[in-house]
Amino acid sequence: MIGFLARRLLLSLLTLLVAVSLVFVAVRLLPNNPVLARFGQHAVPDRVADEMHKQGWDQPVLVQLGRFLRQVLTSGDLGKSFIRPTESVAQGLSRKLPATIELALAALLVAVPLGIAAGSAAAVWRNGWPDLICMSGSLLGVSVPVFFLGICLMSVFSQMPTGLRLPATADFQSRTGFVVVETLLAGRLDLFLAALKHLCLPALALSSIPMAIIARVTRNSMLQALAADYIRTARAKGGSRWGVVLGHALPNAAVEVSNIAGFQAGMLLSGAVLTETVFSWPGMGRYLVEGVKDSDYAVVQGGALVVAAMFIGLNLLLDLLHAWLDPRIRLLHSSS
Amino acid sequence: MYLRIFCGVLCGAAGLVLAGCGGSAGPPATNSRTLIYSRGTDADTLDPLDTSLGETVAVLVNLYDTLVTYDDRTLDLVPSLAESWEMGDEGRTWTFRLRPGVLFHDGTTLDAEAVVFNFRRLLEDDFPHGYGAQRPYLPNFEMIESVEAVGPLEVRFRLKAPSAVFLNNLAMFPASIVSPSAVRTHQEALGVNPAGTGPFRLDAWERDQRIVLRAFDDHWRGRPQLDRVIFIPVAENSIRAQQLVRGEAHITDNLPPAELDALEGQSGLVIQEQQGLNVGYLTMQMERPPLDHLKVRLAIWHAIDKQRLIDVAYSGHGQTSVSLVPPAMWGHAEGLQDRQYDPQRSRELLAEVAAERNLTLPLRMNLFFMEQPRPYMQQPRQIAVFLRDALQQVGIEVKLVPNDYRQHFQRLSAGEHDLGLAGWTTDNVDPDNFLFSLLDKSNINDHGGNNLSRYASEEVHQLLLEAQRETDRGRREQLYRQAQQRIFDDAPIVPLVHTDVRIAQRAEVQGYYLHPSSLVRLRQASIGSGTR
Repeated sequence: MIGFLARRLLLSLLTLLVAVSLVFVAVRLLPNNPVLARFGQHAVPDRVADEMHKQGWDQPVLVQLGRFLRQVLTSGDLGKSFIRPTESVAQGLSRKLPATIELALAALLVAVPLGIAAGSAAAVWRNGWPDLICMSGSLLGVSVPVFFLGICLMSVFSQMPTGLRLPATADFQSRTGFVVVETLLAGRLDLFLAALKHLCLPALALSSIPMAIIARVTRNSMLQALAADYIRTARAKGGSRWGVVLGHALPNAAVEVSNIAGFQAGMLLSGAVLTETVFSWPGMGRYLVEGVKDSDYAVVQGGALVVAAMFIGLNLLLDLLHAWLDPRIRLLHSSS
Repeated sequence: MYLRIFCGVLCGAAGLVLAGCGGSAGPPATNSRTLIYSRGTDADTLDPLDTSLGETVAVLVNLYDTLVTYDDRTLDLVPSLAESWEMGDEGRTWTFRLRPGVLFHDGTTLDAEAVVFNFRRLLEDDFPHGYGAQRPYLPNFEMIESVEAVGPLEVRFRLKAPSAVFLNNLAMFPASIVSPSAVRTHQEALGVNPAGTGPFRLDAWERDQRIVLRAFDDHWRGRPQLDRVIFIPVAENSIRAQQLVRGEAHITDNLPPAELDALEGQSGLVIQEQQGLNVGYLTMQMERPPLDHLKVRLAIWHAIDKQRLIDVAYSGHGQTSVSLVPPAMWGHAEGLQDRQYDPQRSRELLAEVAAERNLTLPLRMNLFFMEQPRPYMQQPRQIAVFLRDALQQVGIEVKLVPNDYRQHFQRLSAGEHDLGLAGWTTDNVDPDNFLFSLLDKSNINDHGGNNLSRYASEEVHQLLLEAQRETDRGRREQLYRQAQQRIFDDAPIVPLVHTDVRIAQRAEVQGYYLHPSSLVRLRQASIGSGTR
């Protein structure tokens, strides 16, 4: 198990390095100049080259990459945004990441239970009307673009507040960026409910695709599990229908479901650009996209590092979870 | 049985979700002396020397004062931190007498040394208290040779040469007077710890959430009516419009024509409108044949029905343009008659050029346009499509090239385009700011030059330089008229439209006047009672 862990860890670090280097080089290949991007028609032509030199952006990309990696490894400093000169990348990320995490968790809280319930029902009543409803719904969930769903939700629930995380006049200043958690811990029930209301529509829109995917994967896994011999044995021994489904089939289907749910969580945590854009949600996705458009190098490379680290870390955790859920994986690795 | 239970659970879950979403949120309980201003993005910094972002300027003009400023209703310059001023040495020296007893938000007092400190910070590359500010507006102040304190409340500027725009430029936001003590204390962090003399002071800035300003009790003009102003950044136009309807915001700006038209007439909402001090135009890259030929440029001019363009892409809220200088501003070329929309004339001109240069018709050109709206072009894609169709009618095949606006102007500066959509909003309400910035030959530069057509007329250059030095308004008007006539004859650009500026606000907002300069000055604004 330790060998398995060490191998996975090493591979993860290597993946992280490659991912960050690729993003670092790619953003510099864009035909965009950060100084001109920031000041547009008010850039002073004579000073553009001076600023590029001062920032070290006129040096070879590999030299810049080496300097960035050394800076991160020695001081943990991710640098400073050029477009927003009063904000370091670490500060930017520390505000955006909590907003994305709250949104992603809220979406998962909706998507996972409903997705598993719908998928299980579809499998149990295979070819029945619950199957038809759940699978048509999931097909719709995957097919409808999030921005369209977002616009529909905003039109139907037009009285729901959107665009901020708390009402503008709220007498509450978040320290960590986890607004929902903080308002609850502070005992401000009014603001907690307001924060939930602001979160509601973006979370619903964001949950549509993961919910649909989880439902489909759950259905398939459950169908395989329900057809297995041990289920027949369990039923033959007198186990109740739902006792067998929940006690035997679902746990065996869980490996596949947790795999896909974890993958979806990784996707959501790295920022949901469309949902964040439609709802003007101040999260990671929009932060990085704007960073790319502005050629705000520090933001893009710092953000890429954190997102890649999160994604890879989450995958590592999933591997461990699998090893725990499925003894065969542990045995396979210990024997090899 | 189990099916029923399953259905019950599913319905219950769906019900819970919908219950969470349902119900009216209603307007938040707000203090009736708090005004919420919603706009597209957050500020980048609150250091006036380190920004060119419109959303930042909206905050800055409420935090800081300048030596001179615009009248509350008009574009006339009036005293602000300077009580009076006089010009000497034939326009080479300007002496300003400062208002006594003016306090900065940090409690220090305004004096001549503070003003000198601010202008040295703006002008000197190696000033020890610059702290990395980028100073994008430095060229607007480069006529200043030196600044000195000649008394505790008296400042003298010496100019390199007489300048007609000097006084106007002192009303621009980069000439805001910041507390020197705050600059020295906060250094690079001045941008989040501003201290000016303005009617409001910064209370809190939660990035991408809100900027809260609080009334400055000791403002030299008296305390503003409002207790608080909250600026919120909301990128999506439709959400900003909804917030206004729901009462979550009092004022919102930069909405596209369709959103504004939908809000117009709704009870409880008011639309304010001003003739904009801006221009939207079509640039023609004169170094790229066949656009070096005057007849081709004239053919393009004749092919565009500007009034129809305004009806289609601006919902009629704009005026057709004949020159860069807007009609709402002095220096506009009054007598200049625009060329008629005449597609037949365009075809004839193109046929003549084709014969002269052995070209085959249709001509092929690209048209660069920005993907995002700008204040002078709120629907650039519609405008580009309109122009493509118009030019196709007369024998020019146009390929549309969309760009993110940040890259758009970089590519236009580098001269990569044949045709391109561009525009400008005035910085200092002076014709020089349009004509010299956009069409003087000294502003042709691959890295940020604003003469996008690469128009290199020596005659126009000399006229514009003379107008910069001339201090007599009448003589300057004459020079600008000549320059505009020359530009009109050479047709390096097709001026398209002067866009009206429109904002939407709640009816309970009183005393807020959309200033012709579009500056967001909230000192006199208040919220009426009993309407929420």
